[in-house]
Amino acid sequence: MRPKDGLALLLLLAACGGAEGGGGKTILRVAYEREIDVLNPFTSQNLADIGYTMIEGLVTTDEHNRYIPVLARTIPTRANGLVKNTAGSMVEITWPLQDSVRWHDGVPFTSKDVCFTWKFVTSPNSETYNREQYLHIQDCRTPDDHTVVFVWDGEYAYYDGLFEAILPEHILGALSTEAIVKYEPYNRGPKTIGTGPFKFAEWKSGEYIRLVRNDQYWRGRALPKIDEIVWAFIPDANTRLNALKSGQYHYGRIQPNQVKDVKDLAGYQTHLVSQNSVMHLDVSRRTPHGALIFGDERVRRAIFQAIDRTAIAGQLMEGTVQVANSPINPTSRFHKADLAVPAVDTVMSKQLLDQAGWLMGADGVRHKGADRLTFLISNRAGATDRIAVAQVIQAQLKAIGVEVTFETLESAAWTNKWRSGQWEAVVSAWFLPADPSLTGLYACDGANNMTGFCDPELDVLLKRSDRTLDDQARKRDLDLAQERLIATARTLPLYYNVIPEVVSTRIGNFRASGTNFGSFWNVFDWTLAP
Amino acid sequence: MGRYLRRRLIQLVPLLFGISIVIFGVIQAAPGGPEGSLLAAGRFVDPSVIESYRHRLGVDQPVWRQYLNWLGASARGDLGQSFSTSRPVTAMIGERLPATLELMGAAFLFAALVALPFGLFSALRRYTLADMLGTGLSFLGVAMPVFWFGLLLQLIFSVRLGWLPVSGTGTIGASSVGDHLRHLILPGLVLSTRYIAGWSRYFRSSLIGVSRAGFVRTARAKGLTETRVVGVHTVRNALVPVISVMALNVADLFSGAVITETVFAWPGIGRLFVQGMFARDYPLLMGILLMGAVTVILFNLVADLLYGALDPRIRYE
Repeated sequence: MRPKDGLALLLLLAACGGAEGGGGKTILRVAYEREIDVLNPFTSQNLADIGYTMIEGLVTTDEHNRYIPVLARTIPTRANGLVKNTAGSMVEITWPLQDSVRWHDGVPFTSKDVCFTWKFVTSPNSETYNREQYLHIQDCRTPDDHTVVFVWDGEYAYYDGLFEAILPEHILGALSTEAIVKYEPYNRGPKTIGTGPFKFAEWKSGEYIRLVRNDQYWRGRALPKIDEIVWAFIPDANTRLNALKSGQYHYGRIQPNQVKDVKDLAGYQTHLVSQNSVMHLDVSRRTPHGALIFGDERVRRAIFQAIDRTAIAGQLMEGTVQVANSPINPTSRFHKADLAVPAVDTVMSKQLLDQAGWLMGADGVRHKGADRLTFLISNRAGATDRIAVAQVIQAQLKAIGVEVTFETLESAAWTNKWRSGQWEAVVSAWFLPADPSLTGLYACDGANNMTGFCDPELDVLLKRSDRTLDDQARKRDLDLAQERLIATARTLPLYYNVIPEVVSTRIGNFRASGTNFGSFWNVFDWTLAP
Repeated sequence: MGRYLRRRLIQLVPLLFGISIVIFGVIQAAPGGPEGSLLAAGRFVDPSVIESYRHRLGVDQPVWRQYLNWLGASARGDLGQSFSTSRPVTAMIGERLPATLELMGAAFLFAALVALPFGLFSALRRYTLADMLGTGLSFLGVAMPVFWFGLLLQLIFSVRLGWLPVSGTGTIGASSVGDHLRHLILPGLVLSTRYIAGWSRYFRSSLIGVSRAGFVRTARAKGLTETRVVGVHTVRNALVPVISVMALNVADLFSGAVITETVFAWPGIGRLFVQGMFARDYPLLMGILLMGAVTVILFNLVADLLYGALDPRIRYE
């Protein structure tokens, strides 16, 4: 074949077929950043957006980080009389349900499905990541098909954030918990049904998942306004960016450092969606060397005060993120806005280190006897933003005589090390639900407190805030807890993570959300202009 | 020949057994476990859930017992269930293998169609400007990182020119044969590049070497036309080592496909392997690596057999 023939063939093939296709249907094409594992919303590790598009729960969250009802008609509160204290400090919470909802196969959705979901989640082998939260529910009652009553073992602040999905009893009810976890027709279709605006249609392994319009959607026949959604799996960030730039997709998430590449992209708008996720520097005292350095509050304060977070947010992250002062996102009503994190002050840092007995050595690193003031940051390979932050921290701390070294571990190895507690420092981020409970992270016995720090005073505040239904009292406790985290230099919040979402201007009614439910929470209302 | 083939196939059994021990050990030696995927989403996970998960997958057992369980099931043709999807590994590999074979086949074919004429041209015009240019391009082809070249082609042909799609195997909802071929062009080209470079140089050297052999001089002395001398006597003999290299490279294509499939979101075995690696999906990794090992061994055997077919001096005992 002559070169000219090759070029001719290329042009001929380029002319074949268009990118749009679909035979007159409105098809929303999503360049999705990962391939999902299973479609069961409780056992999947990464279902998120795709799941919530098909499978609805009692609640979701809107663009203001608030829980709003979905399959529930309203969220129970004391004010509306649906939350009642009963004998023996038990609490009865009544959820009125939507009454015209049908599963995708036409079977009516009832309160029995809700109780079935509770039974599944609380079974020992359900492998639901937040199972323990559901264990506070002692009983589930169904006075009628459209009312469900949960009996709690006491007041529990985030009762309204559970049941983010409901399972169909008529499909899964005859199976054991273990069998449901492995049940392929539900995990992978075709028996994956929900009550949501879109129905499962096809899953082509490694390529895409296709969902089609639910013509019987309970919000009304006019909804949803889009015929199909195709989630194409494009895990590589650069490829995803190119796919969006080529105009083949209507929606995709990119990296913060790619925002400048799509700034002037015609037909698209980039939304910097603030996540319920805080990039922070954590230090641990669980190794002997970590305890020697970070066991002294003065050293922690000195280190934190030498880190210029404004420079990290403004220059390194190119102004795409906002400096964080608290682990709780500003979009939450529990965020304490006037929290005062000490400003950068290297003179003060040096004084604190001198007071703590760490004196500058001839090699530019501080010493205390035979010990050098050096610590290791464990980085997760591939997390380029975190590694870059760690490098900036390394450079900034050098100015006060603190040496920072790195190790880079592949993701699973990093997680393993983090769980073992045998690390000195990490630049990390948690993804919190709309509810701001911090107990798991900072309580002495918090499941995710791997730092070795234990502050009994903080424990009281955190645990009390979890076990109250009084919003004012909870806010007071969480305000004090946020203050205490900063005052004791327990952790250094760096910035609130954003995920840039590149959205076609053809999409209407897009209302971005940075919670675990994500921006597809109102996809039933989206439009796609021709 | 038949006896030789039988003997080689019987040798396969202990060889695969040894390989399975090595790869199982290597996979287990990697720090971290499948429970890491529970925490990868950055959300809180109850410790009891992690223990329950590890118990169901059997990774809380001693490594030797895990290996024996795997070996026993594999001997019955069951490669186990994937940790992350709870699906049979054989089914997952079966779904992805056609895409990889197609990509490899296209890359292999394209590389052969370009490399051999290119090598012949260079050999016939050796030490000319064109030959030197070809040598330079070949070095460039070998040296260029696959992911970089892939992204570069995407930028040129998809983003700038809009001629070809960026990724995937077809336009969802509007796929056709032409559409599918359009999707195949860029990944196929990227995967074939280093082989075009390598094979053309190898063929060139081989041709130059053979053209100096006595039997070629004899052919010319007999008065044969240059076309017959080159086409029948030189090329056929020069192809022997090249074909064996090509056969061995088939196994290499699998490793090249890992990156190419990731860059072009091609739904093949390479991407499945990457997913399995990050999730510490031991059964899936074992299945894919074992399949890779079998492929290498079989194509080694094919290369050996091709020697005999092309060179009558070689006999199998």
